[in-house]
Amino acid sequence: MTTVPGRPPLVRRSDRFIAGVCSGLAAHLGWPVRNVRVAMVLASLAGGAGVVFYAWLWIMVPTADESARRQARRPPSPIAPAVSREPVPGAVPRATAAAGPGVALPGAVDGGPGAATAPPASGGYPAAGEAAGQASEAARPWFRFRDMRYGKEILLGVGLLLVAGILVAQLLGVDVPLGTLIPAAAVLGGASIAWMQLDETRRAGLVDKTKADQAGGWARLAAGLALVVAGVLVMVSGSGSWEQTWLALLASVAVLGGVVLVLLPWALKFWRDLEAERAGRIRETERAEIAAHLHDSVLQTLALIQRRAANEHDVVRLARAQERELRGWLFEDPGKDAGQLSDRIKAVAAEVEDLLGNAVEVVSVGDTAVTEGHEALIQASREAMLNASRHGGGTVSVYLEAAAGRAEVFVKDRGPGFELQDVPEDRLGVRESIIGRMNRHGGTAAITSTSEGTEVRLGFPVAPQDSTEGKP
Amino acid sequence: MNAAQGAGTGPVRTARSARVVIVDDHAIFRSGLKADLDPSIQVVGEAATVEQAIAVIARERPDVVLLDVHLPGGLGGGGREVIAGSAALLATTRFLALSVSDAAEDVVAVIRAGARGYVTKTISGAEITDAVYRVAGGDAVFSPRLAGFVLDAFGTAPADIADDELDKLSARELEVMRLIARGYSYKEVAKELFISIKTVETHVSAVLRKLQLSSRHELTKWAAERRLL
Repeated sequence: MTTVPGRPPLVRRSDRFIAGVCSGLAAHLGWPVRNVRVAMVLASLAGGAGVVFYAWLWIMVPTADESARRQARRPPSPIAPAVSREPVPGAVPRATAAAGPGVALPGAVDGGPGAATAPPASGGYPAAGEAAGQASEAARPWFRFRDMRYGKEILLGVGLLLVAGILVAQLLGVDVPLGTLIPAAAVLGGASIAWMQLDETRRAGLVDKTKADQAGGWARLAAGLALVVAGVLVMVSGSGSWEQTWLALLASVAVLGGVVLVLLPWALKFWRDLEAERAGRIRETERAEIAAHLHDSVLQTLALIQRRAANEHDVVRLARAQERELRGWLFEDPGKDAGQLSDRIKAVAAEVEDLLGNAVEVVSVGDTAVTEGHEALIQASREAMLNASRHGGGTVSVYLEAAAGRAEVFVKDRGPGFELQDVPEDRLGVRESIIGRMNRHGGTAAITSTSEGTEVRLGFPVAPQDSTEGKP
Repeated sequence: MNAAQGAGTGPVRTARSARVVIVDDHAIFRSGLKADLDPSIQVVGEAATVEQAIAVIARERPDVVLLDVHLPGGLGGGGREVIAGSAALLATTRFLALSVSDAAEDVVAVIRAGARGYVTKTISGAEITDAVYRVAGGDAVFSPRLAGFVLDAFGTAPADIADDELDKLSARELEVMRLIARGYSYKEVAKELFISIKTVETHVSAVLRKLQLSSRHELTKWAAERRLL
């Protein structure tokens, strides 16, 4: 446990002041973050070497997200684990389990010597770094918000201190080249703002293209650009006259325009290629997901069916179960609330189908949330379906209607039928589990049986709190 | 030619023979369906894609087309596109949609394109034969599931007199739809409601017409929610 399995890769991390370079570097080198930051600031004072180094790393080093995404072989599918039901290995080291597949970072948390001194934010980091983890999306804004606010205050303080230092130096008679410093600062600041924007765009673009804060992003980009352009202009033209400055500006704009004109087709083509590649990758991901699902469910069932080919009953049962599972996966309405009454009835129908092998077709109209009283309805329906499947011996039709004020379930089979009076007193299935249960809970139950089939009708008034609409 | 023999399987029809084209992209399913159908039904053509289907239907002018909802070819519209491509023949050729799909948007899309009914592919040979004759006779064929879709789309409250007649189901139509959704056959519906089978068929056809023609706000919304329009 004490041996370091290897250096964590150099990535920019999300606990950051500016771009996460220092904390990433610290994790990579195994040093405390604070030392790296101080060293960077000191290096910056030495002729700006630190700034250049920082900027270089900012450009060259990917963020943790990007790195994780690049390394992820197969995107984690939300369906595959549920379908394959592979036993989750319990002995997985904690950090690996927390980080999920594809993220090589957790070594920094539990293996690196700097782990003990790591700031609190890095403890929660692996969760945020999960490549496509849905939960981490919720956590991320919180980190960003906190870190950015903190960073802004620090930056502001540093800036004010710098200005104060310059003023004091001037008062003391030291000649500070303000004419160079201010434009240089403007260029640096503008570049930082623009680059931060690039970071955000990259991250947001990979998560979701239609982001709400696009306008703000553009504003920041424009502000950064304006700062840089103004700084460069002032630096180049020195303290020259306005006339000169305007001429220079005009010339630069003309040159830039010409360059854009020449490069635009290439840029557009490049952009289109990029988009096409991206679309291709998304398709590939989807394909892999579907393939994984089909492998885990359909192929397994087909193998089972081949082995049990002699037993017709088993084959039908397997085919029905697989059909149900596949339908659920293909046609499920993701916008619908789970756990509604129709879902429960369908689940019960599936159970009966598995148990007795006869098809149970459920048609549902409308839906409602399951209340306590509905449990009785569900249980009575189950009993009715069991009876219908057992004695009817064919397809059972179930119809659920949950309209304003009332939930009704009809269970119909095409069996030989029976007379309620003929059922022996000690058989409680119909009398107790269906009729008695419904009556006790304030519902109704009626049974019609002819030689062509039996139908059980169950009715249940809606819960009092929903009864504002009333029955039409 | 087999009038007497076929009459036992369902309600008596005036003409117990029908020319049928089967459109499905799975050859196994086509041959299985052909074997299942009553001998009185004459399969005059088969097609596996949208283009083939439109060509075969135009050439053979069958009484009934058994049409899979999902088909390759064309513009990707599947069965809907076949019906649209054969629109000129709709007066004489009836379409019966066959599907393994449970998705409302698939089923309702073919119905709104002009199909006279919808049945699932797990249906038995006798049932599909009956459905073919029903459709050939100009009636509509509703499976319990389609009836459920209709009730979902139109709502379960009966129409007021003031309502546009296309936008809601009448009380009687609602009753019929409910019974069909509960698994009743037309005959059982007729018995339950003390009306003739012919009247049941009239009600079902009326519902089919409403489903095809209604521009009802809720139906549009319902369809849009299921990515239909």
